[in-house]
Amino acid sequence: MVVKVISADHAVAWAVRLAKVEVIPAFPITPQTLIMELLAEFINDGELDAEFIAAESEHSVMSVAIGASVGGVRTFTASSSQGLALMHEMLYVPPQVRLPIVMVNVNRSLGAAAGIWLEHNDSMPERESGWLQCYVEDNQEALDMVLQAYRIAEDERVMLPLMVCLDGFVLSHTVERVEVPGQEEVDYFLPRFRPCVTLDPSEPQLINPIVPPDYAMEMRYQLDRAIDASRRVIAEVDELFGRTFGRRYGGLLQTYKMEDAEYALLSLGTVTTTARAVVDELRSRGEKAGLIKLRFMRPFPEKELKEVTKDLRSLGVFDRSLSMNGFGPVFTEVRGALSSSGIALSDHIGGLGGRDVTLEHIREIYSDIALGKAVQDGANWYGLRRRRK
Amino acid sequence: MGARLFEVRFHGRGGQGAVMAAQTLAEAAVLAGYFAQAFPYFGAERRGAPVKAFTRIDTKRIALKSQIYQPDLLVILDEGLPSIEPVAEGLKPEGRAVINTSLPPEEYDLGVEVECFTVDATTIALEKLKAPIVNTSILGAIARAQDMVPLKCILDAIMDKFGERLGERAAKANLEAAEAAYSQVMSGRCRGERILRKGQQWLPSWEDIPPGVALIVGSKEGVVIGPGSSWQNFTGTWRTQTPIYIQEKCVRCLRCWWACPEGTIKRLDDDYMRWDYRYCKGCGICANICPAKAVEMKRGTKEW
Ligand code: SF4
Ligand code: SF4
Repeated sequence: MVVKVISADHAVAWAVRLAKVEVIPAFPITPQTLIMELLAEFINDGELDAEFIAAESEHSVMSVAIGASVGGVRTFTASSSQGLALMHEMLYVPPQVRLPIVMVNVNRSLGAAAGIWLEHNDSMPERESGWLQCYVEDNQEALDMVLQAYRIAEDERVMLPLMVCLDGFVLSHTVERVEVPGQEEVDYFLPRFRPCVTLDPSEPQLINPIVPPDYAMEMRYQLDRAIDASRRVIAEVDELFGRTFGRRYGGLLQTYKMEDAEYALLSLGTVTTTARAVVDELRSRGEKAGLIKLRFMRPFPEKELKEVTKDLRSLGVFDRSLSMNGFGPVFTEVRGALSSSGIALSDHIGGLGGRDVTLEHIREIYSDIALGKAVQDGANWYGLRRRRK
Repeated sequence: MGARLFEVRFHGRGGQGAVMAAQTLAEAAVLAGYFAQAFPYFGAERRGAPVKAFTRIDTKRIALKSQIYQPDLLVILDEGLPSIEPVAEGLKPEGRAVINTSLPPEEYDLGVEVECFTVDATTIALEKLKAPIVNTSILGAIARAQDMVPLKCILDAIMDKFGERLGERAAKANLEAAEAAYSQVMSGRCRGERILRKGQQWLPSWEDIPPGVALIVGSKEGVVIGPGSSWQNFTGTWRTQTPIYIQEKCVRCLRCWWACPEGTIKRLDDDYMRWDYRYCKGCGICANICPAKAVEMKRGTKEW
């Protein structure tokens, strides 16, 4: 193990190197570029024995990744925003064909009101694609999750692609202390990739053919069950990771001071760090505040969420994107999971298009949750300029 | 007029005009003052493949968007279909059938004994249209087989639909075909001796579907196994003409082997070819593409 002070993008590149990934198709897009630059350097310097394929678009990137994975080799790619959108069509292939590709999406706002800055509206729409999807909080978790991702994705009970999402700039370009594990430890943690579906010239197969109505429904159901089966594997892998490297993340979600909490915020990504500081402040004043860090959007931890919230009076949900139904996607899913809980639920939106989320915003969010400021006509927005009354 | 739902199921092959027939019947029904809808169901989207089309007619607004499983009227555009598919399945006992065949109803075995109307639509079509497109002839016969949509409305609908697409002259030829069929229809009761047998079907539960959408190919054999593949689909039953391979002329260019859409043609170790007629649908692509004229198409389904 060595300690480095590096960005989340570089932490990811280190994880990919340690995972001995063999094929890396890529197309550059800010703020993902740092990952690919460092990986290209590793390959150039002979420190990573991988094929780097500069494709002509993200659509092709995913096509190449599919080809590589079905060829039986460990495959990695990364994208962001418009790039992920261009990949959308091909994203639906790996889940159903059961190809455990790992991709990092560096979250960046998508579409008009364009920018290069952080928002979760690029990855959130891909919840329906069949990819497992997780969100990380800091650079160490970015590195650790890429390693965990291969172990989860390639488990024979799962065999699904996994998208690790990390906040653009707030993580991708921010340097922090990161423990980079040794190769031997990683080799112990991550066994060789044994594919489920392969293209092998000596035993020709056809993948992804047209499927008539007689079969497609069974295939969809089977995919949904595989995503469900990943819950157990995610928990197991986190435990094994803890035993190997001494760091655990809680699997689908992680709680902070929830034991006797009366009200709490559920957050994902980097905002969790700031929220932790606010919980400490509130606790020092005797307030019974707690925090739930949502780590996975797919599979969505419905059961776990019910369990950790059962004694709460009110729960606020932080969203860094919109579902265009007055709420954000995380809130919409949480409300679905807790619809019969009787807990006062509220949605708290902030940080869209890269707007900074400050300590002050989070304090305000907690005080709104404490007051049980439940939703009347939609979400509560923070940092939004309004006309003076 | 009391409320009445009347459902028609057409069975034909890709290219015979079953869909157009269903649509024309729907238009005729609307002209006759009813509500109507028509829609196709394509299995394999390929020429020669069995296709289904549906027409639903009602005295009130139609509140159904599903396929038809218990038709009042069955229309069969290719007389050979009952031997490869259980086409008569679900036909109501009091239902009727219209069949394109030169046989009188009493000699035709549909698999259920019902009131039946037969007409040699292929001969009529070849004579009037110079092509074996039987849909308009069959529409003439349909006018005789039910009492909701009269011949006049069917003729008007043909004129409108075919005139729009093919011009007035061609539409007139189609009218003549329909009228000829109307007057030549033989009626009676067909035979119900054939056992309605489902084709070779593989319908696994979700647990039994192999994970990952992949089909294993028997390499040189070239035949795909898996959902919707030739394994269940003996495309050879679609054939009305058959390629004959003349090995002496073959220059082993492999073009036919590449081009055959069904994986029928096997490449032997010496690069000569062998035909697996279970899968040859008789499309003629191999004969067309062969530079040495080493493949000839012959009428019929004989295997050479
Ligand atoms: S006619 Fe020729 S090309 Fe067509 S299916 Fe038969 S062998 Fe193949
Ligand atoms: S295309 Fe004709 S010449 Fe070429 S391999 Fe086929 S049969 Fe032989």
